[in-house]
Amino acid sequence: MAKNNQTKVKKLPPCRSACPAHVNVQGYVSLIQRGKFREAVEIIRKDMPFPAICGRVCFSPCEDACARTNVDQAVSIRALKRLVADIEREQGRVKPEPIPKKYSEKVAIIGAGPAGLTAAYELAKLGYPVTVFERMAEPGGMMRYCIPNFRLEKFVVANEIAYIKDLGVEIKTGVEFGKDITLESLRKDGYKAIFLAIGTQKGMKLNVPGEELEGVVNAVDFLRAISVGEPINVGERVAVIGGGNTAIDAARTAKKLGAKEVMILYRRSREEMPALPHEVAEAEKDGVKFYFLVAPKQIIGENGKVKAVECLRMRLGEPDESGRRKPIPISFSEHQYEVDMVIPALGQVLEASCLPPELLDKESRAPAVKVDLATLETTVPGVFAGGDMTTGPASIIEAVGAGKKSAVSIHLYLHGQDISDREERIEETTWVKNWGYIKKKERRYEPPLEKPHLSFEEARVYLEKIKREAVFEAFRCLGCGPCSQCLAELDLCEGDKAVVDENLCVGCNVCAVVCPFGAIRKNEKEIAQVNEELCKGCGICAARCPEQAISMKKFSNERILSLALQTQEVKTS
Amino acid sequence: MEIPENVNIVRVMCIGRLDPTIVLDVLAKGADGVLMVGCKPPDCHYVEGNLQAERAAKMLKKLVEVVGLEPERIKLQWYTPLEDKSFSNNLKAFENAISKLEASPIKGELSQSSILLNILAAKNAASDFRLRVLLGREKELTESVNVYGEKIPQEEFDFLMDKIVREEFLRHKIHLLTQTKPLSVKGLAKKLGIKPADVLKQIVNMRRKNMITIDRFEETTPLYKALEVK
Repeated sequence: MAKNNQTKVKKLPPCRSACPAHVNVQGYVSLIQRGKFREAVEIIRKDMPFPAICGRVCFSPCEDACARTNVDQAVSIRALKRLVADIEREQGRVKPEPIPKKYSEKVAIIGAGPAGLTAAYELAKLGYPVTVFERMAEPGGMMRYCIPNFRLEKFVVANEIAYIKDLGVEIKTGVEFGKDITLESLRKDGYKAIFLAIGTQKGMKLNVPGEELEGVVNAVDFLRAISVGEPINVGERVAVIGGGNTAIDAARTAKKLGAKEVMILYRRSREEMPALPHEVAEAEKDGVKFYFLVAPKQIIGENGKVKAVECLRMRLGEPDESGRRKPIPISFSEHQYEVDMVIPALGQVLEASCLPPELLDKESRAPAVKVDLATLETTVPGVFAGGDMTTGPASIIEAVGAGKKSAVSIHLYLHGQDISDREERIEETTWVKNWGYIKKKERRYEPPLEKPHLSFEEARVYLEKIKREAVFEAFRCLGCGPCSQCLAELDLCEGDKAVVDENLCVGCNVCAVVCPFGAIRKNEKEIAQVNEELCKGCGICAARCPEQAISMKKFSNERILSLALQTQEVKTS
Repeated sequence: MEIPENVNIVRVMCIGRLDPTIVLDVLAKGADGVLMVGCKPPDCHYVEGNLQAERAAKMLKKLVEVVGLEPERIKLQWYTPLEDKSFSNNLKAFENAISKLEASPIKGELSQSSILLNILAAKNAASDFRLRVLLGREKELTESVNVYGEKIPQEEFDFLMDKIVREEFLRHKIHLLTQTKPLSVKGLAKKLGIKPADVLKQIVNMRRKNMITIDRFEETTPLYKALEVK
C-alpha cells in the first residue's frame, strides 16, 4: 500500500475545527437561517449521532472558538442545536432505513457510552455489522446513568440511541466484559475487530480516615443509584467534595432530593474549578453553598455513621503540570463541617480488573490502556480503545471524536490498509480580516436550560416562540469558513464556484473589491484568480466584472436569464 | 404563501448576484417590471451583497428612465426571511403599482421598436466596462479613498453616474443604429433628437474606443459604421 506522505490540509471555520467531532456547525447554522430545522438535524447527524444530547450538556468548545467573540459574544451554537433536535423529536422523527451491510467483517464494541455508540454508528453507516455489548441494563453509559435527569432527560438519550438501533446496530445489554465475554470469546464468535470503550467507571477515593463510614457515597455511585431508582438515603446536610461537573451534578441532585443544606468543598478557588461556569451558576441558584480552598483531612463518625468532615484550609502555590495552581495545606487550620452525608467527587478511574493484562500500560501510575493516540490502536492487533478509558474522564463530545477516529481506524484495519495513513491537518480559517467592519449584534437567544420539563402543548408554544428568535440568532453567524457544504439550497447553489476567463480578464480588481470573502485576488500575472476554498459561489463578482470575464460554473448569467424567461412564457401562455 | 399568477420568481444566491444586464434583458423580452428582493441590511449572508444590489438598482432606475420607461418598473424590496406575510403583500403591492402603468410597450401589437432598441442599448451599456467598473467601485470610491487619496462625496458620485449613464446609453444607441446602415452625424442627430455637436462628441470617443469607424464619404460628409465589439 503506497503511503501518501502529503498531509492533507482541511480548512474549517473556527467552531468546526475546535469541536473534537468536527461537527459542521456553519452548515447547520446556515440551515437554521433559512428555517430548515429538520435538515439542520440531518447535517449534525452526518458528523455525530447525538444532536439533542450535545445540545443540552456539551461544554461547547465551538462557542469558545466562535469568531464573533472578537466583536461581541459567540453565537448560541449549543442552544440552536438543542432547538433543532427538540423540534425534530416533537414533530416526530422519521425512522431511518437500516443501512445495508456492505461488508461481512463483524465488529464488536464494548461499552454503549458516547464513544462506543458513535463508533457503532459510524461503522454501521460504512456498512459493517456491528454489535455493542453493554454491562448495564440500558445503553447510554454516563449519559444515561450519571448525568441527572434535570440536565439530560432519559427519554432524550433513549431517542438518540433508538436512531442508532434503527440503522441496524445491535445493542446487547447486561453483558459484562471480562465475565460474560472476553477478547478470545469474541474472536471465536467471528468478530474481526474489537473496540473497547468502557469509560472510567470507578470513583476515585478520598484516601482519608473514615471513608468506610455509612453515609460516604461516591458521586458516580450516588448518581447511578438515583438514575436506576435504587433506594438511597439522602442526608439532611450533604458535603460534596470536588469541583468538577460530577460534583455539581451530585450536589444539585442531593438538593433536589430534599437535602436541607448542600455544600461543595473544593481545594482550589473558583477560577480553577473544572466545572462549567453556567453549571456552577445553576447550582448556586439551586441553593448549593460553595466553600473554596478547603480539603478534607478526615471524616468523623459516630456509631458508624458520618457526623462531620474535618477540613484543612489551603492556599495556592505555583502552577503544577496541569497548569492550575497547586493547593498547599495551611497548618493548624483544622475546622469541621457538621454533615451526615459525604459525596466524594474527585474524578473517576478506569476499572482495569476486567481487562486482559496484555492491554495495560505497565509504566503508568494509574491503571491505563496502552494506546496510540493518533489511531487508537492498542498493543493487541485488531483491538482498539478510546473514550474516557484512554483520556481519563472527559466530555461527551471528546468521546464522540474518539468514536469517529476509531471507526476510521477499524475500517482501514479491516481492509489491510495502513492505519496511520489518514493524516489530515485541520486549519482554522475565517474570511474576516478587519473586525471593525463587523456590525455588533447582541446575543439574544440563551439556552432554555431552566425549562426542560414542559407539557407537550407548552413545549409547542414555547418552541414556536423561540424558533423566530433562533433564526435571528443564526443570522449572527459570520459564516467564517469556506462553503460549508450545508446544501441548504441544493437546487440553488449546487456547490457553485466562480471561474475566470484569463483571456478576458484585464486585471481591473473590481472582483476583488466586491467579493465578500476575499476569495478572488489578482495573481502575479495581474489576472484574477479564484481561491476555491474561500469561494462560496454567491456570484457577486460575476455580476460586477466589467469585462464579464467571470462566470459561475453552475449558475451563469445565461442560466438565470433563461430561468426568468422560461417561467414567464409558461405563465403567459 | 400566495404568489400572484402573473409573477414568476427566480431565486439567486444573493440579490447582489443579479447582473444589471439580466434585468434589462428581461425587460427587453417584455416583462412589465422587475422586483428585486434582498435581505434587509445589515443582515446579509454575503456581507454586503444587498448593498451591492442597492447600488445596481439605483443605476438601473436611471437607465430605465433614459430608455423612456417608468423607473417604477424597477424596485428593490428588503425582506427578512421571517416575514412571509409582508413578502406576499409587497409582491401584490408591486404588482398593483405595475398594473397601473401601461403594459410593457414591447409586448404584443403595441410593440415599439424604438423602445426595444433603447433597452438593447441600455443593456449593452450595462455590459460595457465603464458603467460596471463604476458600479463595482462605488463603495470604494465613496466610502474609502481612491489611489490618489481622494474621497468622492456621494452626491458627486451620483452626479457622475447620472452623466455617465446618459453618455454610455447614447454611445451604445449610436452603435446599434449604425450597425445596419452607415449614418452621418446629422442623420444620427435627427434620429436621436439631439444636437449634432453632442453626437459628434460621442463619436470622437467611440472612434477612440474602436466602437465605430468611417465607412465612406458622401460628398464631404463622413458616414459612420459600427465596428464589432469583441
